[in-house]
Amino acid sequence: MAYERLDEALKTLNRRQLLELDTCARCALCTDLCPVYAESKNPLHAPGVRSSRILSLVNKRLSLWARLLGPRPLPEGELEELVESTYHCTLCGRCMETCPFGLETHELWLNVRSLLNLLNQTPPRIKMLGEMLEENGNPYGLDADMRLDWADYTGLEEAPVKDRAEVAYFVGCTTAFKAVNQEIAYSIASLLNELNVDWTLLGEEEWCCGSPYLLAGDREGAREAAERNVEALKARGVKTVITGCAGCFRVMRWEYPKLLGGPLPFRVIHAVEYFSEHITSGDLKPEPLDARVAYHDPCELGRLGGVIEEPRIILKALTTNPVELPENGLEGRCCGGGGLLQAVDDELRLSIVDARLRQASELGVEILTSACPSCKLTLSDGVRERSYNLEVLDLMELLARQMGL
Amino acid sequence: MTLNAYPALYIFSVGVLPYITVIVFIVGVIVRSMKWLSAPRGSSTPLSLTAAIRQIILDVILFRKIYRHDKLTWLLIFLFHISAGGIIFGHMRGFKLWSAELFTPLGEGFKNFLVETLPIYMGYLFIATQLLLLLRRLSLEGRKLLSHPNDYAALILLLATSIAGQGMRITPPEAVDTTYTVSFIPRLVVLHLEKIPSVPWFLIHVILTQLFFMYIPYSKLIHIYTGVITAALYGSRRSEYGL
Ligand code: HEM
Ligand code: SF4
Ligand code: SF4
Repeated sequence: MAYERLDEALKTLNRRQLLELDTCARCALCTDLCPVYAESKNPLHAPGVRSSRILSLVNKRLSLWARLLGPRPLPEGELEELVESTYHCTLCGRCMETCPFGLETHELWLNVRSLLNLLNQTPPRIKMLGEMLEENGNPYGLDADMRLDWADYTGLEEAPVKDRAEVAYFVGCTTAFKAVNQEIAYSIASLLNELNVDWTLLGEEEWCCGSPYLLAGDREGAREAAERNVEALKARGVKTVITGCAGCFRVMRWEYPKLLGGPLPFRVIHAVEYFSEHITSGDLKPEPLDARVAYHDPCELGRLGGVIEEPRIILKALTTNPVELPENGLEGRCCGGGGLLQAVDDELRLSIVDARLRQASELGVEILTSACPSCKLTLSDGVRERSYNLEVLDLMELLARQMGL
Repeated sequence: MTLNAYPALYIFSVGVLPYITVIVFIVGVIVRSMKWLSAPRGSSTPLSLTAAIRQIILDVILFRKIYRHDKLTWLLIFLFHISAGGIIFGHMRGFKLWSAELFTPLGEGFKNFLVETLPIYMGYLFIATQLLLLLRRLSLEGRKLLSHPNDYAALILLLATSIAGQGMRITPPEAVDTTYTVSFIPRLVVLHLEKIPSVPWFLIHVILTQLFFMYIPYSKLIHIYTGVITAALYGSRRSEYGL
């Protein structure tokens, strides 16, 4: 172990994070609600244990005692266990919301991933993802010129890629490349056409939003992705960027200004915000179903993105029988689809989604909606693997469907 | 037997130790602050005062988040912190920050209950909740949490301090009925005692309390003040996100 590198990496933890690590009472109140710990029961996966480990590491190397008496070496396996802990996390932010001190663990976990990346400790399967991102601009290793194929597959008639437009629809890789999600793109595009909006796609110029870079601890990669997308959007004179992906939304809305060091020249909103306004104003009048429909809050849209009310406005317009799941809104329960957990431990991801699906199924939910392609992917995998009798749809798909599109 | 029955120990604990306590405490706060300040600045959230105050009241004073999902643990942690607060407030009377007259409007009987009887119950509650917290920690150790040695040290030190305090309260006081003053730091920290408490308990309590104060900046007890800062930051973040 090159200790110099370790010390340099530890110095990337910022002021607030060091203060927060010292504030943690190691009370484990965050542990009970962590979706990963709830399924694995492995102490290494408990958020409070992770913060305790990180603090020990900092204190061994950088505390006053370490400076006076010399830094202490790490016991065998300590770093490997921190890697195991850090990547067994969906980055759902539930621990942050549960912590009585409001410790911003979500940012801390992201920062620890960058720190591990600096130490070349990123798990191999996540490293591979980084290589694919480098080559193709998406985490699925597919050619950039396949980015618009969804429009052909779904039979969308008008998929404009213009030089200038008021509104841009940022599709996102998980929507564009994953077959189960391509209907989401079709639905959003059709709704924009229905409203006669002056809108455009970025086509092949759309690049990964940067989220997977951040999740893999590569902040510089995320910054470059942000720069590239912002340039492409700016060149089109876009005023509003709409995305249907909770991950793209969170990163563009909340991380881009930090990565690029200033405000963006356009506003970024999630499709549920855009279309809920049009439902409230009466521009969109969907035909309500009378099925039991529930909405699952994507972590990156609700707790980590700040959008909780709008999807519920849409839901109420889509069914006469809306169902509220337990653990919702700010306290939404993660489906298991975040944090790149799938690449590290897919079995665990499936047991996490199973716990969520059980909650829905116990309430007799017939259609389970969400507003994120990663949630849809995970919820659909869960329904298939464990044979649940419910339909998984994105809220945008159901909206387009009830609009007859 | 009066307080100076053990002259050397008495002089040390009220005449020397207080200066050491203040110095050790201040050095600790400076060292900790330097540790934080030596790190790079992160991205900053604009401070929203109303959101910060709201967050502090709900999460720091009422422990709302714990209440929501674990009522039993909430009760334990809430009672522990409330009795701590009550006891700190009670001590302030001895240092003349308030006087029993404050409660006269509530009636003589109730006043006596508040300043004589309630503190004894508070003391028992404080000790009981600490024991339960210790048991809780031991039972979750290695499964749900990973303590640092100072987590136990803080609890045990506080437990010993409060047992000594309670011992002093419930063993018969030394009979002297004028007010007795103990100068820790003359003019600055002066304790006014209406009854001279049981001397050995008093000395143990005074020494342990000072050790506890010294320990704050070097242990997890630092959350006593940093917890207010982090809660204010989180409140501001929520307001930034429109939540
Ligand atoms: C800033 C607001 C505060 C919050 C949010 C807070 C929260 C907590 C929490 C969650 C615990 C963990 C209980 C456990 O270990 O299971 C704890 C423990 C403790 N707190 Fe506080 N506390 C605060 C202020 C204070 C104050 C003012 C005192 C002053 C006496 C204090 C003294 C302690 C002690 C001695 C412990 C026990 C240590 C332990 O359990 O290991 N706290 N606090
Ligand atoms: S972010 Fe979510 S998964 Fe990760 S430790 Fe916190 S609660 Fe667990
Ligand atoms: S709830 Fe907060 S203080 Fe308690 S262990 Fe978790 S992160 Fe630490």
